[in-house]
Amino acid sequence: MREDLAKDGIDIGGVAGALGGARREAAPMRLLRSVASLKVTLVLIAMLAVGLVIAFRFEHSRIWPMVVPLALLSLNLMAAIATNAVFRRQMPLLVFHLCLVAVLLLVSAGRLTYLKGFAGVTDGAVFDGELAVREQGPWHRGALDEVRFASSGFTIDYAPGWQRGATRNQVLWQTPDGRWEKAEIGDQDPLVIRGYRFYTTFNKGFAPTFHWQQPGGPELYGSVQLPSYPLNEYSQAVEWIPPGSDVAVWVMLDIDEIVIDPDDFAHFRLPNDYTLVVRVGDERTEMRPGDAIALGDGTLTFDGLRSWMGYRVFYDWTLPWLLAACTVGVLSLGAHFWQKFTAKPWDA
Amino acid sequence: MEQELQVLWAAIVTYVVAGVVSVVSVALGKRPERTVLALMLGALALHTFSLGIRWERLGHGPFITMFEILSSNVWSLMLAYSIVYWWLPRIRASAAVVLPIMFVMMGWLMVVHPGEGHYPATYHTPWLYIHIGLGKVFLGAVLVAVGLAGVVLLRRAGLGVARLAVLPGDKQLDELAFRCMAIGLVFHTLMLIAGAIWAQDAWGRYWDWDPLETWAFLTWLTLVFTIHARVTYRISPPVHAVMILGVFVVAYLTFFGVPFVSQVPHQGAV
Ligand code: HEM
Repeated sequence: MREDLAKDGIDIGGVAGALGGARREAAPMRLLRSVASLKVTLVLIAMLAVGLVIAFRFEHSRIWPMVVPLALLSLNLMAAIATNAVFRRQMPLLVFHLCLVAVLLLVSAGRLTYLKGFAGVTDGAVFDGELAVREQGPWHRGALDEVRFASSGFTIDYAPGWQRGATRNQVLWQTPDGRWEKAEIGDQDPLVIRGYRFYTTFNKGFAPTFHWQQPGGPELYGSVQLPSYPLNEYSQAVEWIPPGSDVAVWVMLDIDEIVIDPDDFAHFRLPNDYTLVVRVGDERTEMRPGDAIALGDGTLTFDGLRSWMGYRVFYDWTLPWLLAACTVGVLSLGAHFWQKFTAKPWDA
Repeated sequence: MEQELQVLWAAIVTYVVAGVVSVVSVALGKRPERTVLALMLGALALHTFSLGIRWERLGHGPFITMFEILSSNVWSLMLAYSIVYWWLPRIRASAAVVLPIMFVMMGWLMVVHPGEGHYPATYHTPWLYIHIGLGKVFLGAVLVAVGLAGVVLLRRAGLGVARLAVLPGDKQLDELAFRCMAIGLVFHTLMLIAGAIWAQDAWGRYWDWDPLETWAFLTWLTLVFTIHARVTYRISPPVHAVMILGVFVVAYLTFFGVPFVSQVPHQGAV
C-alpha cells in the first residue's frame, strides 16, 4: 500500500507535460525523483544526528557537520515537494514540510545577521553603542550606534546562601524620535530598542566614579567597573588608564562591612563603610568622595561609588518569523495526524 | 520532610504492588484489571499528596533537584499510563511491561538525596509549566508505545505468547504504538518551541546547544527517523518495536541522564 502511494506520488505527467516533451524530460525528472527519495531522507536524518554528536564533542568543528546534512535535507525536501504527489493530496503535511524549510532558511538568515554581545553600564551613565564583547554574523547591519539608554538603579533579592532572586532594573531609554521613556526590566524582561534586546545578568558590581582634568583640557567623567560582586568578593580591584593619560591607575575597593549577608535574606546595595585605595606606581592613596590626587599629567578626583549592571545584548530579526513558522508547522503536523488517525480506528 | 517521604514511600509501595499484581496476573492468565487500576490511582493520590506537601513546604514545584525531577516524572508517567489503562481496556495487559520499567525509576528515586535545591529567578514564568508539561506528555506517549513494543517483542521471543493473546494482534499494537509516537512528536516539537521561547526570555538566546538542548534535539531526530522510516519502508512490528525502544532510551538519557551528569537542568540556568 505504501509503496503504491510512493509510486503514485511521482507526478510524472504533470511536470513533464509542463516542461513539454516527455522523452526529453525523463532524465532530469528521474534525477529529481532520486534526489527526492525518502530513503535519502533517512540517510540524511541519520547523518544529521551523527553531525550533531561530532559538533557537540569537537568544539572547533561546530558548523560543517550540521550545515552539510541540513543543506542536503533541504534539497531532498524541496525535490520531494516538487515531485511527490503525497504532498498535493495532503495539505497539512505539505504545510508542515514547508515550515521546516522556512525554519531552516530563517535560522540561516539569523546566523548571517545576528549580534551577540555584552555591555557593562554604570548607573547614571548612558550606553552609547559600545560593547565590551561582540560577536556577529557577517551581514549584521543594525543601528546599535543609535541605541541609547541609561540604568537608573537596580535591586536584586538574595535568599540565605547568596541565592540570587529577582532582579529589577530601572532604565531610561530613548525612543527613535528622541524622547526618553522609563521602563523596568530584569530576569525575563529585556529592554528592546531597535531590535536589540538587553538582558540583565548576574554580572554586576560596584563602580567608583571619577572626574579627570588635564591642564587646558576638558573635564572628563568616567567610572571603573570593578569585578562582579559578590562573585569576586575578595578581588575588588582593577587597573585603569584615565582617558588621554598614560599613567596606569590601580583601583581597589576595600569593603569594611557585610554588604550581602550570606546567612540572611538581603538585597544588593552599595557599601557605606569602605575605603577606596588608589595606587599609582609605588604610591598608595586612600580616597574618600571629593578627594583628588595629582597624577603626572592631570588631576583625578574621586566622586563616589555607584553600581554597574552587565547586560547581555542580542539581536536577531528572525525571532518573530521563526516563532510563526514553528507555530504553523506544529499546528499542521497536529492537523495531519488528526486527519490520518480519525479516518480509521487503530484496531480496525 | 519526614511525612512527605513517608507518603512517597507508601505511594511507591502501592505502585509496586500494582505492578506485581499485573505481572503475576498475566503470568497466571488472570485479569484483575480493576484492582490494578484502583492500586495505580491510589498510588497516584498518595504521590500527589507527597508532591503537594513538598511544594507547599518549599514554595516551588518539583523541577530542580534530581529527586524532584525523578519524582515528578514517575508521577506524570504513571498518570499518563493510568489514563491510557482506563481508556483503552484492550491493551491493559501491557501493564506487565510498563510497570516493571517504572520500577527502575522508582528504585533510583528511592536512593537519591531528597534535599532541596536553589530555585533560580528565571523559573518564575508560566513557560516553565508549559515547557515541562509538554515534555511530560511526550514522555508519557512514548512510555505507552514502549509498553506496546514490549508486548510485540515478548511475543516475538516466544515469551508468554498464550497469556499475551488477550491483547490485540501485533499489527494493531504496532499501529497504536505508531500513533503514540506521532503524538510524542507533536508534543516534543511543542516542548522544544516552548523551551526556546523561555530560553530567549531567561538567557537571551533561544537555542545554544547546551547539553540538554543538544540531547533533546537528538531525541527529536530519533523520533523523526522512526516515523519517517515507517512511512518509507514496510517495517515489521518487531523492528518498529526495537526502534521505539531506541527512541525511549535516548529520551530517557535526555530527561534523566543529562540532569544527573550536569546537576543544573540547563547550564544557562544559574
Ligand atoms: C527532518 C525533519 C522532518 C520531519 C520532522 C518530518 C516529519 C514527517 C512526518 C511526521 C510525516 C508524516 C508521517 C505519517 O503521516 O505517517 C512525514 C511524511 C513525509 N515526509 Fe517528512 N519529515 C522531515 C523531513 C522530510 C524530508 C527532508 C523529506 C524529503 C523527502 C520528507 C518527505 C516526506 C514525505 C514525502 C512524506 C509523506 C510520506 C507518505 O505518506 O508516503 N520529510 N514527514
